[in-house]
Amino acid sequence: MTSDGSAALSCRDLVRRFGERVAVDHVSFDVAAGETYGLLGPNGAGKSTTIKLVCGLLARQGGTVVVAGQPIDERTVDAKASIGYVPQDIALYPDLTAAENLRFFGSLYRLGSKDLGRRVDDVLELIGLADRAGDRVDSFSGGMKRRLNIGAALLHRPALLVLDEPTVGVDPQSRHAILENVAELGDSGMAVLYTTHYMEEAQRLCDRVGIIDHGRLVAEGTHRELVSLVHEEDRIALGATGDLESLRSVLSALDGVTGATTADSTVHVLARDARRLLPRVLEAADAAGADVTSVEVVEPDLEAVFLHLTGSALRE
Amino acid sequence: MIALVIAGATIRRTRRDRTGLFFMIVLPVLIIVVIGSTVQGGDRFPIGVVDQGSGEFGAALVEDLEGSDSLDVRRFDDLEALKLAVRRSELAAGVVVPRGLDEQVRAGGSVAVGFLTQPSNTAGLAAREAVESIVADHSALLTAASFAADEAGGTVTDHLDQAQAATAGVAPLTVDTTVSGESRFLPLGFTYSAATVLVLFVFINAVAGGGVIVENRRLGLYERMLAAPVTPRAIVAGETFTYVLIALLQSLLVVAVGGLLFEVDWGDPLAAMALVLIWSAVGASAGLLAGTVLRTAEQAGAIGPIVGIALGMLGGCMWPLEIVPPVMQTIGHLVPHGWAVDSWIELLSRDGTIGDIAGRLVVLGGFAAVLGSLATFRLRRQLTA
Amino acid sequence: MRAVLLIAAKDLRQRFRDRSAIIVGFAAPLLISFLMSAAFGGAEDLHATIAFVDEDGGELGSALEEVLSIPELEEVLTVETRDRADAAARVDDGDLDAALVVPAGFTTAVIAGEGAELEVLAGVDAPLSAAITRAVAEGFLTQVRANRVAVATAIDAGAPVTDIAALAERAAATAPATALEDQPLGGRELDLISYYAPGMAIFFLLYAIGFTAKSYFTEQREGTLDRMAAAPLRPSAILAGKALSVLVYGTTSLTTVAVVTSLAFGAEWGPAGAVAAIVLAMVLAVVALTALVIAVSRTERQADGLASIVTFTLALLGGNFVFVATAPEAMRRAALLTPNGWALRGFTDLATGSAASSAVVPVLSILVFAAITAAAAAVTGRGLVTR
Repeated sequence: MTSDGSAALSCRDLVRRFGERVAVDHVSFDVAAGETYGLLGPNGAGKSTTIKLVCGLLARQGGTVVVAGQPIDERTVDAKASIGYVPQDIALYPDLTAAENLRFFGSLYRLGSKDLGRRVDDVLELIGLADRAGDRVDSFSGGMKRRLNIGAALLHRPALLVLDEPTVGVDPQSRHAILENVAELGDSGMAVLYTTHYMEEAQRLCDRVGIIDHGRLVAEGTHRELVSLVHEEDRIALGATGDLESLRSVLSALDGVTGATTADSTVHVLARDARRLLPRVLEAADAAGADVTSVEVVEPDLEAVFLHLTGSALRE
Repeated sequence: MIALVIAGATIRRTRRDRTGLFFMIVLPVLIIVVIGSTVQGGDRFPIGVVDQGSGEFGAALVEDLEGSDSLDVRRFDDLEALKLAVRRSELAAGVVVPRGLDEQVRAGGSVAVGFLTQPSNTAGLAAREAVESIVADHSALLTAASFAADEAGGTVTDHLDQAQAATAGVAPLTVDTTVSGESRFLPLGFTYSAATVLVLFVFINAVAGGGVIVENRRLGLYERMLAAPVTPRAIVAGETFTYVLIALLQSLLVVAVGGLLFEVDWGDPLAAMALVLIWSAVGASAGLLAGTVLRTAEQAGAIGPIVGIALGMLGGCMWPLEIVPPVMQTIGHLVPHGWAVDSWIELLSRDGTIGDIAGRLVVLGGFAAVLGSLATFRLRRQLTA
Repeated sequence: MRAVLLIAAKDLRQRFRDRSAIIVGFAAPLLISFLMSAAFGGAEDLHATIAFVDEDGGELGSALEEVLSIPELEEVLTVETRDRADAAARVDDGDLDAALVVPAGFTTAVIAGEGAELEVLAGVDAPLSAAITRAVAEGFLTQVRANRVAVATAIDAGAPVTDIAALAERAAATAPATALEDQPLGGRELDLISYYAPGMAIFFLLYAIGFTAKSYFTEQREGTLDRMAAAPLRPSAILAGKALSVLVYGTTSLTTVAVVTSLAFGAEWGPAGAVAAIVLAMVLAVVALTALVIAVSRTERQADGLASIVTFTLALLGGNFVFVATAPEAMRRAALLTPNGWALRGFTDLATGSAASSAVVPVLSILVFAAITAAAAAVTGRGLVTR
């Protein structure tokens, strides 16, 4: 935990090439203390590579990485103690028990034996595997392994937790549990760097999102900021019977409404802030005597943002 | 037939596996070459000679030794080096021609020529015979000349020529040896190694090959096959056929290499073929059983050679069962290798025919049947579980 | 460094939990040694049972019979008197090892100065007994021949021929100028188990190359290698940790086999200090070979295959399977290109009584091999952990 409010992570101009291909092209971003930052991009965008550069798993060909005030490079490995790394695959020893796995990885982070013992118990408790501590990992279900996978990164109380696409190929229930866990950790004050190609996750979990494509960070900011970048507007779709045309003109005159159209038996109202406007729209419709059968609020999402910025879809 | 399709797939996978090919093809050939060249026919015994400064008589003795057809002589400068070489078994024996031999003989004395060998080194014992006879002949010359000098005056050197002439003139006294009886051993040399390599390696590779079945099971291939209109019986038949075929091919390789490159005579062709076929069946059934019993392919790779070597040792592949205590000989026949080696002895050392080994072939067939039934029973249970 | 020890400890824990590793490293070599000692443990001394057939009845036949019963030959030879047919049948059946036959008219021919022949009937499977019997017969005839030559030479040289009989007696009484005498070789005899116990132990040690190389790629595939790399330790610590685990495993394995085979099966390894030095050097060579296999391979399967090939080729060339000392020069030289070949030579020398200092050259040679291998691994390794 950084006490002086400086960034948990600060990356500048990260570069990594594989032969001719540039996988990470001068990527720079910060993760503030206690912030959950998401790297959002399709497969092959360079998310995992960036993560590996941050954690010191791949050699950097350019740029700097500073974690909790300390630079990371090949010679100074101490800063790695501030990072908790959760890899995309289950990185555990199947022939060792849960407790043995945790103890081993914890010991690499220089926790003293007494502290380590306590931390192992605490983490097992946290991830709900306290009663399976002495069982071999190859006897666990997929969900349990995922939980342990995250647990192993928490032993040393890192300032920054890094998760690389933790929900890929995971069943809905486990996925829900993982997202809950990460949200809790973020709420408790841990800085989190989270990569994903699922827009819902980024939206739900992250304070800020960096959109990455073909190795470049094309935009970053809060959800609002990103959405406003592309001037997308909220849309309220009112299903109604009766005189739709007059309803349309009444609604388009409302303060905050930027436009209204009709299509089939629906009136689409475009607005800046649909949530705040919704009560007034419904009031106005009621006053106009229209019979509203359905209401749908569609807020622009990151998928739309991504499409707008890069010209390609977030998911194939 | 479906079984053949399955067999074909397994064979194709085996062929692509370069390590497997090394074990099946390169290694046995390598072993035949190494073992064969080590277990020499025993034409010439390697001995070392050190001349510690004897003089011309001693030098003449060394030359006589070098001229022998049954000795391969290496000269040493140092007695300790000679002893070391004998202790290492690099030499069958060593001969020490002592300092001052000439003077002693001229003075009419008797000189001891040293013989060094390891007590139970059989080659050493045989070499001794050859060395003894050369030393004796050489000694006879000197003794005669010395005796003549005593009786008629003059020096030893003076009478050497006369001694030579006398030796040539004396009527020959020889030992004539006739060898008889039926051998209980395999003939030495390449034949020995080729036959035992055949028995040993077909078995080892078959058991290690059981790993493929384990892999297939692990990868869920059998489940996938069973989802198609394929019966468990067809799968079992297919795998069995594969194993027998691979074992047979490997046997034929060893037979060919042995016969063509090293002139191994495999004995009566019909009997040899029957023995090769039945041994392939034994190996194949052992491999199948291993495939159903072991849990990982790795285990097969580790256990295969170990079990194979252990059984080979018990059965007489590494050394003849003739020379071990009776209880070990009995144990040796509790494993199929013992019976296979016995059969080869019959064919290669005693010119046996198929009739002579019929009983043993039946026993081997029994081993194959028992192992095979156990294997197919287990495999079917695993497929239908 | 701490991390190195932690990683080595983890590797060892996994290794000892894996049953095949225990079997290969400990059970197998002990089992094989046990089999050998059971087969050869009761060292039988050479003893031949032969028949003496005297069809001649003359004094030379009796003289030969006396030679056969001298006390020096008692240990090695048991002599039965039989007639030819009986003896021949027994030799054929294998009941007798050999038979020595003095044919009729032998003495007469010899005394008359004519040629004569002794016969040896040998069993096909008793070449040693035949050799001993022939040696006795040859020795006897040599003496007879030598006397003849001596007398003839003396006469030729101008000795007085008044009393040939007395001359012959004096010739017979002359000691031979040179005689072959068995001299002590020093040291101990190398028995089979003292050669094969280290041979098999080292062969199974070579298997460790495959285990460790495969585990490296497994860790790479499973991601635990990355997880270790993310921790605050130098990348070299991971490789060092694995190397240390091989060192401990290998040394433990070899030492256990050495101790057990010495105590239980009577194998002679040599003085403890020298043995330890060779063991350590050999294990270091295995560490270097493991590093090379990892450096050169790309996948688990490649590593497994390459390790197996290396293991068997080295074992074959180095003499772990066959007694390479009796092989032709070329093979013996090839054996000394391998670390295990040097180790076996070192153990053989120590076991046959050479001083502890004889281990120095083998140890240095093995270390040179290890150094070259390690250098090759470093060159082809190119950043094994951080890529």
